[in-house]
Amino acid sequence: MAMRYWSAAGQRHSIGLLLVSCVFFGGAGTSRADDATSWKEIETKYIFGFTTGSGIGLEGEKEFTVDTIGRFGKRDGHYTATETKYEFEFTPTQFIQIEFGALGSTHNISGVTDLDDRRQVAATGAFAELRYLAIERTSNNPLSVTLAVEPTVRWIDETSGARVRNYEFETTVNADLELLRNRLFAGLNLLYEPEVTWGPMGDVEREATAGISGALALRIAPNVVIGGEVWYLRHYDAANLTAFTGDAVMLGPSIYVQFTPKMFMTAAWNTQVWGREIGNPVSLNLAEFQRHRARLKFAWEF
Amino acid sequence: MMTRTLNIAAICAIAMFSSTPSRAQQAIEIRLTYSNGQFQPSQVSAPADKPIVFRIKNADAKAMEFESKSLRVEKVVAANSEGVINVRALKPGRYEFYDDFNEKARGALTVQ
Repeated sequence: MAMRYWSAAGQRHSIGLLLVSCVFFGGAGTSRADDATSWKEIETKYIFGFTTGSGIGLEGEKEFTVDTIGRFGKRDGHYTATETKYEFEFTPTQFIQIEFGALGSTHNISGVTDLDDRRQVAATGAFAELRYLAIERTSNNPLSVTLAVEPTVRWIDETSGARVRNYEFETTVNADLELLRNRLFAGLNLLYEPEVTWGPMGDVEREATAGISGALALRIAPNVVIGGEVWYLRHYDAANLTAFTGDAVMLGPSIYVQFTPKMFMTAAWNTQVWGREIGNPVSLNLAEFQRHRARLKFAWEF
Repeated sequence: MMTRTLNIAAICAIAMFSSTPSRAQQAIEIRLTYSNGQFQPSQVSAPADKPIVFRIKNADAKAMEFESKSLRVEKVVAANSEGVINVRALKPGRYEFYDDFNEKARGALTVQ
């Protein structure tokens, strides 16, 4: 796996350049057709950044995606971690989408309290996802809702990079609303993600993350969507949400660009703007969450 | 405990798939011809709550891809051949379709 480490500043700069290029790229589309009602309908799954839209693709469609999420910044030291999904997805019926794939990760950690220094690239695990379209959008109903479950197994810890055995079961509700025909969309996600981890010393850790997000996405050209989202995340040291340990609010922009009818990318950046750790009177929650996170995803349909 | 979990999973699966319309219902057939880079007819209609079968005859000398985000289907139809696409029973509304290889070829299904 040929991945190189970037500094957080360098990564921000690169993503910034990419976003600017994409907006200019999309600007050409704006001059071609300003009437959004004449645009082709858009798949909403990836237009909201970290928030997932309700789209499940088209029956018979297959897609390969490379989806990287980077996490940057802890309370002290240097912390950069990424996890990349190499994903195959297909839609066998007009109501169900199935995805599965492998995970790879990078960790570059030094001088962070409670984490060992580490610099590694590793194959991390595997995942599968089942998505079911529960409420479908029509020209008379702007709301669409999809239910999704995603079991994941990891042998490298997502946060520390240590060798573990981790089982996660992400459950989400992905809803979106078409506010203006073909132009403006609102997204909402509900998240419940219990997990259990066996550490290298045989210790067992059970935890869960719950969250809710809201997002807006504006289609500024037939092939370009820009937006913003906010996430409220809560962390528990128990799968049944009884041992609350802290929460955080993350906020940031997103962009989606359709390069060709069969290829697109989406990028998003979230910064923690508020957070708290129970029993620790500091601002932000950098024990369970990160200062920044970024997403960059490329997809090829075939 | 395991048996109970499996039972719950089975009930959920049955509930999910039972909401998918049955193909056993009488399907409404819609015939389209794709010629000179256009759908003929480009505007079609069908009754609500009945499955639909699109029969698309591609009379052009190159392949086309029938695609619709709202119908949630796509199919490549080779040159001078016919493609068949099954669509679930639909709610009333307007469902656009197009040739994904040709920006100008557009049409719509109105379900009433």
